[in-house]
Amino acid sequence: MADSIATSPAPASLPRDLTKKKRTNKKLKQSKLDVRREQWLSQVKNKGCKVDSNGKDESHSSSMRIANVQNGSLDNLEIRSRGEENEGSSIHDSDLESLMNSPIGITLDHNDSSKGLTGSSSSITSSGCCSGNVSEEEEDDGCVDDWEAVADALYADDNQHKPIAESPAEPETRVESDNLEVPNHNPGVDLSKTESGKVVPESRVNCRAWRPDDACRPQSLPTLSKQHSFPMKSEWHCGRGAITWTWQRLSSQPSSCPICYEDLDVTDSSFLPCSCGFHLCLFCHKRILEADGRCPGCRKQYDQINVNMCFNERVAPFQLSRSCSMSTRF
Amino acid sequence: MMISGGVGGNSASSSLSSKALTASTTSLSASGKRIQREMSELNMDPPPDCSAGPKGDNLYHWVATIIGPQGTPYEGGIYFLDITFPSDYPFKPPKVVFKTRIYHCNVDTAGNLIIDILNDSWSPALTITKVLLAIRSIFTNPNPSDKPLIPGIARLYLADREKYDELAAEWTRRFAK
Repeated sequence: MADSIATSPAPASLPRDLTKKKRTNKKLKQSKLDVRREQWLSQVKNKGCKVDSNGKDESHSSSMRIANVQNGSLDNLEIRSRGEENEGSSIHDSDLESLMNSPIGITLDHNDSSKGLTGSSSSITSSGCCSGNVSEEEEDDGCVDDWEAVADALYADDNQHKPIAESPAEPETRVESDNLEVPNHNPGVDLSKTESGKVVPESRVNCRAWRPDDACRPQSLPTLSKQHSFPMKSEWHCGRGAITWTWQRLSSQPSSCPICYEDLDVTDSSFLPCSCGFHLCLFCHKRILEADGRCPGCRKQYDQINVNMCFNERVAPFQLSRSCSMSTRF
Repeated sequence: MMISGGVGGNSASSSLSSKALTASTTSLSASGKRIQREMSELNMDPPPDCSAGPKGDNLYHWVATIIGPQGTPYEGGIYFLDITFPSDYPFKPPKVVFKTRIYHCNVDTAGNLIIDILNDSWSPALTITKVLLAIRSIFTNPNPSDKPLIPGIARLYLADREKYDELAAEWTRRFAK
């Protein structure tokens, strides 16, 4: 995230104090990120704050709104990720609730666990999530409102009187402003937010649907839920989780090539040249193709075209997940 | 293939193989590593009534013994076999030859034997353990119908099983004990 800000060219028309502020922001961003998230997660339980922010924005001073506009492009990423985080946490809670309270919710979740694993999104689950969310929103609206108001006032104060100085309340106020300007000035972000909002719940629900002792629980799940703590990641989760899972499921194979006993690397592991499921390394496969070209597992002739197709299909998901993890490293 | 084989070998086994393999073979790293692994697996979990290992310091020449299974006319006999691994093993099957004479329709007088997995049905996924088990299985179940090496014995096996058993037991006493 710091990278993206550093590399993105600052607009020339930017006010001086704003640039300074940004610089300090950049410095403090890493340390603050955690604090901010904690605060945010502890205080905001659902996306109700977003709904409220529409009305709240009217009371803002004009200077602050300008600042928000300027900040908009830079904060895009943050807004999005933060929005997702919030929603993720909210879904987390509501999902837990539905799991505990309603038998319907449980059945829905289970449906999703079977569906989502195959990579397809299910309308059943999303609807289940939504219902959970709505009930939560109604409950928590009041407290979030209060907190927002306080934060709002703080931020306005900050902007008018000491725009350069970083107040201790900065983390909260920044979060606040980011969320506030989303619906007004950045419809694109808003859209992405709602989209990711749709995406994230599924992965979330997937996570929750598995019990730790579930026999077919994909091993990728722990890391998946862990990665939710990082910004910028959430929109990948659904696809990535499902893909990784299917990949792992398809490749329950030895760690070394049964022909040459060399360790199978990732490419080899994802290489499934025969429908019988016999795994072997690419070297040995090539060697066999040069000779009689029969699968060592079933002794059937390898089908060249089929081989290539299999290979590409298997490798593609992995590349995807890898690029994803790289992009989120920063 | 060869390069990766050399690099991938762990230090313990590669030092052992360099000792064991005085004669330098071009595909030492690929087939050598594989044979080495098979040897250790064979020692860890030997198949019943079978044993095998390198004859001398050449990893590609093995001696194997199969003890005649109980309930067969070969019972109590100890049969020695020579196993020669080709340099492109496991892509080509090992050559197995009986060194002990045996009265069997699938083994000729020179000790050559015909079993499918050592010829057309060879698969690189097969190991010497499985080969030994397959050879042991023809003691209990001779294959007289599919191109027997010695048709006379095959005919006798099908026509007069008692006589066949008697002769086989006689040969076992004479040559395999």
